[in-house]
Amino acid sequence: MSVVAERALPAVAGDKSFAGRLFGPALAGTGVAAEACWRADGGLRVVANGRELLAAAVKVEASGFNAERVRLSWYDDAAAGEYAFFVESPEARAICGQNAPAAHAAKLRGALAAQARTDRRFRLGWGVIGAVVLLPFLLLAIFAFNADPLARWVVGHVSPEQEAVLGDMTLAQTRAQMTLRDRGPAVDAVRSIGEKLTAGSPHHYRWFVAERDELNAFAAPGGVVVVFSGLIRAAKTPEELAGVLAHEVAHAELRHSLQAMAKSLGLRALVSLALGDLAGGTVSDGIARLGELKYSRDAENEADREGLRRLLAAGIDPRGMVGMFETLARSEGGVLPDVGKEKGNAGDPASEKTDKAAAKDAEKAAEKKPVRVAPPAFLSTHPPTEERLASLRQLLATAPTGQAPLAIDWAAVKASLPQK
Amino acid sequence: MAMDVVDYEVFGSEMQYVEVELDPGEAAVGEAGAMMYMQDGIQMDTVFGDGSQQSGGLFGKLLGAGKRLVTGEGLFTTIFHNEGTAKRRVAFAAPYPGKIIAINLAELGGTLICQKDAFLCAARGVSLGIAFQKKLGVGFFGGEGFVMQKLEGDGMAFVHAGGTLKAKTLAPGERIRVDTGCVVAFQPTVDFDIQYVGKIKSAIFGGEGLFFATLTGPGKVWLQSLPLSRLANRIVMSAPAAGGRSADQGSLLGAGVLGSILGGDDD
Repeated sequence: MSVVAERALPAVAGDKSFAGRLFGPALAGTGVAAEACWRADGGLRVVANGRELLAAAVKVEASGFNAERVRLSWYDDAAAGEYAFFVESPEARAICGQNAPAAHAAKLRGALAAQARTDRRFRLGWGVIGAVVLLPFLLLAIFAFNADPLARWVVGHVSPEQEAVLGDMTLAQTRAQMTLRDRGPAVDAVRSIGEKLTAGSPHHYRWFVAERDELNAFAAPGGVVVVFSGLIRAAKTPEELAGVLAHEVAHAELRHSLQAMAKSLGLRALVSLALGDLAGGTVSDGIARLGELKYSRDAENEADREGLRRLLAAGIDPRGMVGMFETLARSEGGVLPDVGKEKGNAGDPASEKTDKAAAKDAEKAAEKKPVRVAPPAFLSTHPPTEERLASLRQLLATAPTGQAPLAIDWAAVKASLPQK
Repeated sequence: MAMDVVDYEVFGSEMQYVEVELDPGEAAVGEAGAMMYMQDGIQMDTVFGDGSQQSGGLFGKLLGAGKRLVTGEGLFTTIFHNEGTAKRRVAFAAPYPGKIIAINLAELGGTLICQKDAFLCAARGVSLGIAFQKKLGVGFFGGEGFVMQKLEGDGMAFVHAGGTLKAKTLAPGERIRVDTGCVVAFQPTVDFDIQYVGKIKSAIFGGEGLFFATLTGPGKVWLQSLPLSRLANRIVMSAPAAGGRSADQGSLLGAGVLGSILGGDDD
């Protein structure tokens, strides 16, 4: 019925034949190379091993590995077995499709569609897996471009009380690193200036003087302000100290350290999500590095402007700010030459060099994100760039003058610091 | 591409090696590290990529090497070239207990799909490619993963697999169900799919996992009795340092945990 005849014939004539591989009864199990062509009545004529097979009821489907091949099969009553002809190459498949009788054309299209579907599912499946793998990286990219607004939003949800808790933690850590004094003429001077600058603030400020020679001061969240004694020694007038204090208080009021912490924490959380390091310690680590965060240049400029505003509001001569910054810029390694002479050892080129190298290293470390600069050197965390000084001088040009000098016996304050 | 016709002989029973005879000027490509010995007069040349495209340019070579990385092979292939005037022999050894099968690609229509890592050596001219398993279900549960190897050409290729190998010729429409992981190689006309074991009880307690691999003819298939992972699993299980933990065959409550309690350490 299906196979009409099986005769010895040379080959299928004409260019409408397509090559493939034939499997079936009495043929090699691994198949034989064959050629086939469609017949007008919808049947198939296949020539293999020099023999001709004629098939009437041909089934068309996608088959083989990945359903990549078109399979034309039919049942042979005489041989009591099924024959299967596989159209292999794309060229052969094109010829097969073009010349197929109408009855089979739809099925051929269906077979191709089935193959396309497998392909599509494969791509979709891997697309989903890829998306899952890449999602943290995508989040990381989004975060990197929107870090500032995100950090501001997060920080907006932190109350002054919570900030004070963070301040306590920082204070405890700072105490472990250096001696903090909370009484004495120097602390009183710092407090009296600071309270003028922070009038009306929701934060409860605490003022400390650290026994360190570096020219530095920092404000932790929650109103913990630490001034290094080196800075007090270097300041020529109380107004210069007020300038630095105003800048630091501005950082605290604007919550720059909180924002930087939010950024660093978010970054670390995302990085660990992306890279699979989910082993805890993220939060605690972030707190540990709270005091070592680097502010962005924008934050520095913002703090300069806000500090200036606070100085003016408190009726303090703002020119001290510029004076102090110039002193800082000149001092390079963080130790003033005259202070060095006084101490007799810091002027030593070797130690100055190491100071410089340390500052440079700190700067390099600060460029990489989570910073470890302990303790922060004012020059590395607050680079007094020419631009900053220029913009400050510009702001000062329009500032009112004639403020009364601060009523502080500056020489006595300096003298109260432990002599070395 | 001119194919080199090589004569060969397989030695050994459970841990085999194949000795390939090269006529003057003939060459064979071997998996890096598979060479066991070679006679004088055979030049060894290590090439970047799979060695079949000698003039494919840098990009072609890089692509070939990348493909080899994906299929778990080394970046380099070694070509063994007979520079002498007489017949010379070079031998390639299987890396773990099992059988080496010699496959004449010309008889199969030029293409063979096999599990990755199965390739041992071949006549020069046989190219090694990737055949991605595009059916997601088969890729996840079929036991062979998503990446398989495709050997193309008209020459002899030698494939290695674990345990005893069964070559089976499937008639059109004939179907065989195989434990996942036991499929070594098949002709591309064979439909490789998976089938759910059918009963939840079998799935959990049967020890065969949730799915069978099914192979539907026509075409020739090769099955291995002992996938390397299963052998490795047993070795690790019986290693004193491993504490006898079992994860055999995806069975949730199989022979492993209960067996180690009830059966002592004789398995």
